[in-house]
Amino acid sequence: MSLVAEAFVSQIAAAEPWPENATLYQQLKGEQILLSDNAASLAVQAFLQMCNLPIKVVCRANAEYMSPSGKVPFIHVGNQVVSELGPIVQFVKAKGHSLSDGLGEVQKAEMKAYMELVNNMLLTAELYLQWCDEATVGEITHARYGSPYPWPLNHILAYQKQWEVKRKMKAIGWGKKTLDQVLEDVDQCCQALSQRLGTQPYFFNKQPTELDALVFGHLYTILTTQLTNDELSEKIPLPDTW
Amino acid sequence: MAAPLELSCWGGGWGLPSVHSESLVVMAYAKFCGAPLKVNVIDNTWRGSRGDVPILTTEDNMVSQPAKILNFLRKQKYNADYELSAKQGADTLAYIALLEEKLLPAVLHTFWVESDNYFTVTKPWFASQIPFPLSLILPGRMSKGALNRILLTRGQPPLYHLREVEAQIYRDAKECLNLLSNRLGTSQFFFGDTPSTLDAYVFGFLAPLYKVRFPKVQLQEHLKQLSNLCRFCDDILSSYFRLSLGGISPAGQETVDANLQKLTQLVNKESNLIEKMDDNLRQSPQLPPRKLPTLKLTPAEEENNSFQRLSP
Repeated sequence: MSLVAEAFVSQIAAAEPWPENATLYQQLKGEQILLSDNAASLAVQAFLQMCNLPIKVVCRANAEYMSPSGKVPFIHVGNQVVSELGPIVQFVKAKGHSLSDGLGEVQKAEMKAYMELVNNMLLTAELYLQWCDEATVGEITHARYGSPYPWPLNHILAYQKQWEVKRKMKAIGWGKKTLDQVLEDVDQCCQALSQRLGTQPYFFNKQPTELDALVFGHLYTILTTQLTNDELSEKIPLPDTW
Repeated sequence: MAAPLELSCWGGGWGLPSVHSESLVVMAYAKFCGAPLKVNVIDNTWRGSRGDVPILTTEDNMVSQPAKILNFLRKQKYNADYELSAKQGADTLAYIALLEEKLLPAVLHTFWVESDNYFTVTKPWFASQIPFPLSLILPGRMSKGALNRILLTRGQPPLYHLREVEAQIYRDAKECLNLLSNRLGTSQFFFGDTPSTLDAYVFGFLAPLYKVRFPKVQLQEHLKQLSNLCRFCDDILSSYFRLSLGGISPAGQETVDANLQKLTQLVNKESNLIEKMDDNLRQSPQLPPRKLPTLKLTPAEEENNSFQRLSP
């Protein structure tokens, strides 16, 4: 969203309390949704639960196209639509609920840094695994992504999305990485998160924050999704602090 | 390890050893951990356009990206993170991710996409480093690569338009700079008194932004207002990258400085002494100026006194 639109949305958001009929849209759970989208959706759901805000999850095949930024999940609250965890956190903050207000400046910086780490490494690795690893693409991703659509649309959409993701990977330098290197990066990321968490119940201050929601979303999805290649889930070393 | 390590990277300017962020990261890390690195300024290679610069060559290895080069150096026992705890190591990774996600798009934009900056500063500089005819092609390619990267990672599909993204990336970059400034606080380096990998990365990203003279400077202005980050860059430049005349190494330069300081102190003491002797002479008008016995006594006393006063 442009800056002006964002400021406008925050202003309106601040005016009304959280309604009862807020809905979260994602793709079809059983057949269509993919690993990365599932992780993102779960992260948002966890975050809203932590804020004690009621939300209803609705599955639609065209959720990706309904979303204002093209990414799922998005929430429909009152007459506003907000997508992706970052803007949703801002939106919820404008309504007066925030999980990270109690943190000091340095801790907020750390939290943002760790969220970027998760986005940078875990999310990108998930996308890589889904769209650039031939085995997974052939067996799972193509079939799932195009499942609500008739032939030949399902193939066309799947190929288009794959091309887009591959372009992005190339631009950020992941195009030449092998699967092993990607898994190594995931390993490093998980080690870092594990070190940061230590033996505490949450990352900061015994209160859950958006970082906890994000990490939960990704880790839970990785651990519970069946892929052709189970190496990704084997990389999560800690049993569960969740 | 005694294997000769050669680094090929883009050259320097505006007081920096290199204008390219990633090359600077590797050079800073090498200085911090004391790795003997021979720097080769590249000028005529296609590799620059594929983003493979900087490249580290040893006798039997070629390593190409900064993260891989740093890993390689660590394996060769050149480790600047030796004293960091595990949690600090984790923080390093997180902050590097923050830099790459939030700050890098804006830095790329300032250097390569913003037309005033690109055509007046970046393109001429890179073109001057690359021989004809590559100088006509490579800068354009690097610029397209940068634009691509920004749009693909930050642009909202299906409208991959730059204008919508510009405001957002600059805002994110300013926020990132503020966060770094908060994290650095008043300490000299990010983790205590010795520099580490994170310091190398932050220096590599910030120094070109700080030092290169651009016509359109909104991000630079913002950085200049964060005085602790500016001080951080200047400190590293002056202590590790002393590009002095004669190319004296930093350690050599420091001993020279120390000697110079001692000499100056000695000279000051002597001149103070001489002044006092002079004063004494002038204040004793009754005595003939050449009364040697008295003169011998007073300088000794004066000398003792002045030494006692001058010693800390």
